[in-house]
Amino acid sequence: MPSNTRPRISLPLMLAYSAMAIVVILIGLPLIWMLFASFKQTDEIYRMPGTFFPEQPTLMNYPAAWNAVPFGRYFANSVITTVAATASKMILALFCAYALVFTKAPKWLKDGAFLLIVAALMVPSQVVIVPNYVTMSMLQWADSYQGIILPNAATAFGTFLLRQYCLGLPYEVVEAAEIDGASHWQRLWLVIMPMAQPALVTVGLFAVVSEWNDFLWPLIITNTNEMRTLPIGLYRLYQTEGLQNWGIIMAGTVFVVAPIVLLFVRSQKFIIEGIAAGAVRG
Amino acid sequence: MNRRQIPLLRESLTLVGFVILNITLICVFTFYPLIQGIQLSLYQWDFISPFKTFVGARNYVRMFNDRTFWQIMRNTFVFTFSTVSLTVLCAFGLALLLSLPLRGREWTRGVVFLPTLLSGAAIALVFNYILDDRYGMLTQFLRIFDIKSPSFYTDPFWAMVGIVVTMVWKQAGYGAVILIAGLQGIDHTLYEAAAIDGAGRRARLWYITIPSLAPMLLFVVVTGILGAFQSFDIIKVMTNGGPINATNVLVYNLYERGFVNFEAGPAGVLTVVIFVIMLVLTILQLQVGARNNAV
Amino acid sequence: MDAKLNRRQFLRAMAIVGGSTLIAACGAQATSQPTAEPTAAEAPAATEAPAATVAPTVVMEPAQTSVIDVTYWGSFSGGLGEAEKAMVDSFNASQSNVKVNYQFQGNYEETAQKLTAAIQAKQTPEISLLSDVWWFKFYVAGALQPVKDLMAAAKIDTTDYVDSLINEGTRKGDIHWTPFARSTPLFYYNKDMFAAAGLPDRGPATWAELAEWAPKLMQLPIMPQPTPDAAATTPVPTVSPDAKVMAFAHPNSASYVAWLFQGVIWQHSGRYSDPDFSIRIQEENGVRAGKFYQDSVLKDKWAYNAKDIGADFLNGLTATTMASTGGLKGFEKNAKFKVGTAFLPEVDQFGCPTGGAGLSIMAGLPAEKQQAAMQFIAYATSPEGTTTWSQATGYMPVRKSAVESDVMKQYFADSPNAKTAVDQLAKTQPQDAARVFIPGGDQIIGKGLERIMIGAEDVATVWADVKLTLEETGAPIKDAMQAIEG
Repeated sequence: MPSNTRPRISLPLMLAYSAMAIVVILIGLPLIWMLFASFKQTDEIYRMPGTFFPEQPTLMNYPAAWNAVPFGRYFANSVITTVAATASKMILALFCAYALVFTKAPKWLKDGAFLLIVAALMVPSQVVIVPNYVTMSMLQWADSYQGIILPNAATAFGTFLLRQYCLGLPYEVVEAAEIDGASHWQRLWLVIMPMAQPALVTVGLFAVVSEWNDFLWPLIITNTNEMRTLPIGLYRLYQTEGLQNWGIIMAGTVFVVAPIVLLFVRSQKFIIEGIAAGAVRG
Repeated sequence: MNRRQIPLLRESLTLVGFVILNITLICVFTFYPLIQGIQLSLYQWDFISPFKTFVGARNYVRMFNDRTFWQIMRNTFVFTFSTVSLTVLCAFGLALLLSLPLRGREWTRGVVFLPTLLSGAAIALVFNYILDDRYGMLTQFLRIFDIKSPSFYTDPFWAMVGIVVTMVWKQAGYGAVILIAGLQGIDHTLYEAAAIDGAGRRARLWYITIPSLAPMLLFVVVTGILGAFQSFDIIKVMTNGGPINATNVLVYNLYERGFVNFEAGPAGVLTVVIFVIMLVLTILQLQVGARNNAV
Repeated sequence: MDAKLNRRQFLRAMAIVGGSTLIAACGAQATSQPTAEPTAAEAPAATEAPAATVAPTVVMEPAQTSVIDVTYWGSFSGGLGEAEKAMVDSFNASQSNVKVNYQFQGNYEETAQKLTAAIQAKQTPEISLLSDVWWFKFYVAGALQPVKDLMAAAKIDTTDYVDSLINEGTRKGDIHWTPFARSTPLFYYNKDMFAAAGLPDRGPATWAELAEWAPKLMQLPIMPQPTPDAAATTPVPTVSPDAKVMAFAHPNSASYVAWLFQGVIWQHSGRYSDPDFSIRIQEENGVRAGKFYQDSVLKDKWAYNAKDIGADFLNGLTATTMASTGGLKGFEKNAKFKVGTAFLPEVDQFGCPTGGAGLSIMAGLPAEKQQAAMQFIAYATSPEGTTTWSQATGYMPVRKSAVESDVMKQYFADSPNAKTAVDQLAKTQPQDAARVFIPGGDQIIGKGLERIMIGAEDVATVWADVKLTLEETGAPIKDAMQAIEG
């Protein structure tokens, strides 16, 4: 809550700082636990009572996890599929949202298209897995990048978000551009895209997060290590090393989690504002 | 064709050209499978036999007479309701806290938001280990006080608690960030005016903060419901829907019937049930959203 | 090679967990217990041998001069996976006209999922590993190639396969599922604990005897696991004195528990079902068996439901458990106590099912692909192949001549526990139709057992529900089977 009082050491302030510390601990602890466990030797993990800090830290779990499954390859696959699907989602959503808001097509046409988008929001992704697998296999695209990316290349959610955002943009600017003789193409790229940037960033961030972490579809569509992505790789590691070998599994989890954490640390402000902007404005 | 129709046609073509790729992909990869699923609900099929047997409404009748189905409906409700209400409460509390002029609040916001970005499968593995009733962090912590850790894998109640806690841990930061942005958007003069009128802290919270935040709260609730309703990887990795179906929710059950038991008919029925629920939720959301002029 | 060395070094260092999950490796399709088994340290070494020693059993006329590619979908990971991979590699090295591409598809259940989707898409591998509860579904759907003629053409003596194992995969007089990684449940006990409790060094003859022994075992404190290197420098951690050993651990996975209970229901003179799919689980003896499981956990409390029986057994939390023979290697390797094995305890009589996985060729392949696929199966299940595989993994040898070979005899002499397993194999029977032929039957029964042991529900009520569900679910496959087999 915005407050007029200046920060000074008072009881409420101390309470607030304590609360903040507790929050940080509660959120951070599982990740710290993961990190510490990845440095523990197996017998330390299974010692009773156990330890929190690794007593004899070892780096052995990392090469073990790295060699157990080809994490390097998984990482590359995750990057490729995430970048491709995100780019596609942003572009398609922008085109679609622009057309739905700023063209002067008949209302029934616009409403019809919009309805399709909204309806698609209601279909959980688990529903579509089997038929999509069949479609992809008939195209001979199982276990390929196209196979992983294509069903995730379009976005109903992103289109929806962007359309709502565009509705809030000043229409006059577009009209002015039209009077100046700008084509739809020019209006889209030169006028709307800069203005819709906050929402576009939100769409992109959502896409990155959902693609990077996608689990069920890559699990089904990939057959070989050449195509598997990071979360699937982690799941494979979990299976390969067994339910109980926590040191190595946690090291593998660090491989999956660390890139996102690093990315986040580097651009935290940008990401948080980006997520909020599109959502709140809409 | 008169002069008015030509631009109209051109505009229509532009529209079609701009949306065609997105909508085609959505039709092929979302609607077509959905229709197939709905169709399958009328058949008996194991996904591999060359023939499907048409059984009409039998799959529906069986499903609705099945005790387990209603248990799963109840689980879905309990899971979604507790996840969303706890997420919103935590997010609201976090938003209020992290809007105070505290040092290090930006950094804390970052920490709070981080779990949202992480892979559900990875998080589930970490919590699996934390909640392990023999070697996990929780049991070791409780042992200090000589308390026995509940079993998150063999006790139906605690299994549900385990996945709810994991979901809330993962989702709360997202809600908090949305609500913080919402709090920043509230007109300060409202608070000043209220202060002059002698409104207390609680009154200001109740009459200014919450109503002003309503659209954002709604957004957090709706995304929370959709997220909880569709959550799969956490349940798959942590509990596999067990024990005794205690954490089996609709979407997981769909996966189980379709991919584990290969019963196309019941899986089709679940597809329809899930779709109808989503439809109702979305319509509600749009209506409430329209009334609040938001989302 | 560097990578492999690192991995081996590391695996050697994994003191405790090693084989913990190995017990999940067969019999169950392991929904919550992965089919993993990190005992690889030995596996590669053991499986490097066949390339040199095993002569290709099958010499086939090459159908064409170019190399025939065959894709093989497997389900083993960890040490088992490496042994499986080594089998493929040595096959590829042994001849030049067939090249097998090994693709790991996840556990048994996931492999079956993938195969189902692949059949839909008409893009199947040539060979797939299928577990006891999955192969029948594909057979009924007409997806599996009958291989009797292929075997004859490859000059394989089918009578050399262990009868009970080959018979399970034989329908309408033709073989659809060739035994490969087959196992049975085995009773494991901690010899050190038995000694400490003053018990004889043998498994209990009956469950009643185990119940009798239980109080003695349950007075033992849980011994902290020694830390090899640190023991000198750090004080030995203590466990709160009230933490006592349990006498027996039930597994957590529905499919696995339903596999073990198959033996137990037979021991109570009951059965899940008749071969014609008439469900018998709800009958008096089935209820007795269910009540026995329930009481062991809830009334007499000498048993409990473990999240991971392997880890708990290795860590000394339970004195005994029942698990797959596939877990033997891992237990022996990783336990810090002496591992004892015994036949399953009896009640009215002895009862023990087979389990594990076999190999199938997909239907509808061109002749040369079929022959190529058979060439690999022949190699993998040859007396030499099964010997190598069995010693590397703990699975049963599937050929009679392998069991009687000098190599195996020497192995049994060195490894009495492996001998127990093979001796017991002679007394096992194939599982009842309800668990292995009804799709998801293992899950239905296993979840019923969860209701009984965890939910404390009335056994008769639960079995009545389970019977209905099994009948409903089984009806279509019964019809389909009649359509196929008449």
